[in-house]
This record gives sequence, C-alpha cells and structure tokens, in this order.
Amino acid sequence: MRGLIRWSSKWWPGTIPLAVLWALAVWTSTSPLESELAGRSTAALKDILLDKSRIAVSGRDVTLAADAFSEEGRRSAVAAIEVVPGVRLVNDETRLIPEATPFIWSAERDVVRVTLTGSSPLPASKAKLLEAAHADLGGVEVVDQTNLSRGAPPRFDDAALLLLGQVAKLKDGKITISDAKVSLSGMARDLGGREAIAAALKNLPEGFSVASNEIKAPPYIFQAYKDPVALTLTLTGYVPDNNVHAAIVAAAGRKFFSEKVVDNLKASLGAPSGFASAVVPALGALSRLSTGTLVVSDREVKLSGDALYDAAPGQLRGNLSKDFPQGWQLKADISVKPAAAPVDATVCQQLFSEVLTRGTIRFESARSNLDPDSAGLLDYLIEIALRCPTTNIEIAGHTDTDGDNTANQTLSEKRAQAVVDYLVKAGLPAGRFTAVGYGSAQPVAANDTDEGKARNRRIEFVVKGQP
Amino acid sequence: MIFLATFHWGWLLAALLLGFAMGWIAVVHRGHGVSKQLARSLAALVAVLLAAALARVVPGRPGYWLDLGLLMFALYLIGCAVGSWLRDRVRPGPASVN
Repeated sequence: MRGLIRWSSKWWPGTIPLAVLWALAVWTSTSPLESELAGRSTAALKDILLDKSRIAVSGRDVTLAADAFSEEGRRSAVAAIEVVPGVRLVNDETRLIPEATPFIWSAERDVVRVTLTGSSPLPASKAKLLEAAHADLGGVEVVDQTNLSRGAPPRFDDAALLLLGQVAKLKDGKITISDAKVSLSGMARDLGGREAIAAALKNLPEGFSVASNEIKAPPYIFQAYKDPVALTLTLTGYVPDNNVHAAIVAAAGRKFFSEKVVDNLKASLGAPSGFASAVVPALGALSRLSTGTLVVSDREVKLSGDALYDAAPGQLRGNLSKDFPQGWQLKADISVKPAAAPVDATVCQQLFSEVLTRGTIRFESARSNLDPDSAGLLDYLIEIALRCPTTNIEIAGHTDTDGDNTANQTLSEKRAQAVVDYLVKAGLPAGRFTAVGYGSAQPVAANDTDEGKARNRRIEFVVKGQP
Repeated sequence: MIFLATFHWGWLLAALLLGFAMGWIAVVHRGHGVSKQLARSLAALVAVLLAAALARVVPGRPGYWLDLGLLMFALYLIGCAVGSWLRDRVRPGPASVN
C-alpha cells in the first residue's frame, strides 16, 4: 500500500495524454450521444398523449416542452423520460392545454366552405371530425380552425359527428355546441331538410340538449298555370304527400272542365299547415280566370290573371279570404279580360251548347246547391251571355229518373233557379233569364246506366231570341 | 453509468490502458513525483469536481463532459494502480531496494 502511494506520485505524466483523450472523446461523442438520447426519449413518449411535444437534448439533459391534456399525462411524460438510460436531468417545460369554459365548438357553412372553429378536446377528435367533415360534405372545402382545449362535455365526439352530418343538409348556417347545449341557425338546403335535421337531433348523445333550433326551410312552392291557348293547366312544385297530390290533381280535373292537367308535382316534406285547404280553393279561383297563374310560396298565395267579367275579381277575393285557413295570405292581381265581340242569338246558342258539352254544371247530390267545382264553367257561360245582351235565355233543369217525378220536377226547377241566381249575382239582368224545370221528362240518354243517368242530370241554356 | 460505459467503452478502455502503461512505468521511473502539498490540492480539486458531478450542478454539455472526464480519470487511476502493482510483482529483486 505504501508502494502504491509512492508510485502514485509519479502517475501524473499520464494525465496529459488522458486530457487529450478526454478532449477527443468530448469532441466526437457529444452529438451522437445527444441524438441517441433524443431518439430514446421520443420513443419513450410514444404512448403518451401530448400535443406539440418538442425534445431538446444538451449533453445528458433533456428539455421536454409539450402541451398535455391532463396533470397525470404531464407527470407520466416527465417520468417516462427520467427513466430513459443515460438521461441525467429532465427540464420539465410541459404545460396543460387551457381549459375552455364554456367549451364551444362550431361548424359554420357559407357558400363556398365549411369552417370549424372553437375547441376540440384531443388531437384524435380533431382529426376524426375533420375527416368526417370531408366525408359528409363531399367536395366542399373544409377549414379547421379549432384549438385544443380541456373541458369538453362527455360524448362530445359523438355529438359533433352527428351535427357535422346536419351541416351537410344546410345551404348556409351555423351549428354550435356550447358545453352540452346545441344551437342551430341558417337555411336548409332542400325542402324537408329542416324536418330531417330536427329528426336527427333526437339522436344526440345523452346529456346534450338543443338550446335553439332556428333552421329555416326554403320556401315551399306550388305553382299552377292556366294556358287558354294550349288548353292546359300545368301544376309544378311540391305537395306534402301522395294523398294530397292525388286530391289536388283530382280537384283540378273537376274544376278545369276543358283544360288538360299537366302534373309535374313532386312530393316533399315541409309543407305549411293547411296546404291542401288553401291550394284547392285557390285552384278554384284560377279556374274562373281566362288566363292566369297561381303561385303558392309558403303561406302566401299570389293569384294573377284575367277574370271573365267585372264582378268576378271582387267575388274571387272575397271567397278566397273566406276559404283560406288561418295565417294564409292572398295577393290577388286580377284584371278583367276585355269584353269579346257581341254575337247574335244563333252563335250565342252554339257557344252555350259547345261549352255545356265539354262540362256539366254540378250540384250537391239531391240538392240544388251549386258545386263550387262548377264556378269556372259558370263564369264561361256568363261571359257568353254577356256577348248576346239582347237575347232572352231559358235555363232548363233536367234530372234522371231516380226518385219520384214530383221530387225530380221540383229539384230540376230549383237547380235551374240556382243557376239563374248565380248569373244575376254576376251582374246579368234577371229579366233575361227564365228558370224552367223539366224533371226527368226530356232524357238525352237511356236511364238504365249510371253513365246515361249522369248525362240526363243537366242544365241547358236555350236562347229564346230577342226580348 | 452502465449506459455511459457501454456507449463510451472504447474511450474508457483507452484510459484504462493508458493508466496501466503509466502505472507500469511509474514503478521504475526515476524522475520527481508530485509533492505532497500538490497531491493534496489535486485530490481536493478532484473531490470538488466529483461532488459537482454527483450533485448534478453543472448543466447541459459541460455537465456531461465533467461526467465523462471523471469516469475516464477513475479508469486511468485503476489502470495505474493495476499497472504499478503488476510491475512491482514481476520486477526482479526486492521491491524496497530503491
């Protein structure tokens, strides 16, 4: 031992090459060591959820800067690096991502793009939502401006995914989640979109509720155009369902006695309430016009065109405002067709007969009340009567043979009188018309078939010449 | 430490061999050794550096360089001790003559 101490006093010369060796070791090994430790530290963090993590190694000291999503995640990240072999110290520069109160996420759609703003809870949710937005919205540009924040309500991802699906149904608008409250505003892309969104909101995850839903639907349009030249009635736009569709087409067929109904209607959700009860009377009003257009947009009905005689526009307005369901509005722009040239009695009779072969004046069954569906036909007859103002006209009522003769006689008289009353109400002088009932005495067809009976139940206009 | 040893085994082996050679020579070396005073000062310096390394007070790269230096120095000393002892064993004649 004493020898060792004595010899050790002579060991010093070796420290000079040792210092050189050390300098060389430092020179060559520092960078490789640092990159080795950086690699091992990065690998250690692989399974720990962090955002914006940066690792800087100086010598054997590792500086970790990262945004963590929980205190526990933060601690475990530091601990994972501390146990990496070779690491001497860990400088902890991690921080918790900010907590958002309230936690707001929103998706806003304008003409060209969808913008996601607010907060996302985790990078994985952020990526999932962006991917879902691309998938749901087809070719629309999606801009993700969300930040990562803590404080998302439970099942946030499911709610946001559901709502992104609804953004696809919007033309423009905004859907916002604020904590667990959902607000929606904007305009649906298609008719029925608003209803589809409202239905989808029922599937929101537990805990979420709809604070406000102000999605508007595009106007519900129904149009009818009466073309007197082509003799067509063209129906376009939407009807609520197939039953209403059939009812409207059938009503049009009854009201427009000489026009062919061209049916281009499509069924769609989103009709305003009382749709059928407003459209059917409006079609009746259109049938009384020589030419005209009916446009129903939501609850606003625009009727424009030419009436056949002076008293008609006033009657149309009065009847419609009485028939419309509550909340419906009428905008009538009705002028009166210029009076046609007068004709003599013979031509007048021909015109009456011709119109009455195309259409039949209808009454309520076994009663003398005029069927509203015959208003269009009656207006045409009035127009003809106005063209031969100097003639007297017999309004002849006929029935089929059903029922007893006295009743039929009375019914035919009353029905003829009802027609005369209608003509007088239209402004024609009462003195020109005589109501006569013939009961079933003058059949024009055999009364043994329903078809024959229908032909026998009729009103005839017989021009009697000059007064 | 094990990581440093495996990562720098070449340099550490070189320090050990250098120490062994120096220890081998020191036994028959006729020059002057360091004085007791200087030896004490050097020992104190090494003790301070060792304390600094163990306390990890030197940050970053200098801290690493200090660790590496002390490790190499420790192996150098071990090499010296082994070298001197072996040389003393194989030297002909009584060790205590000179």
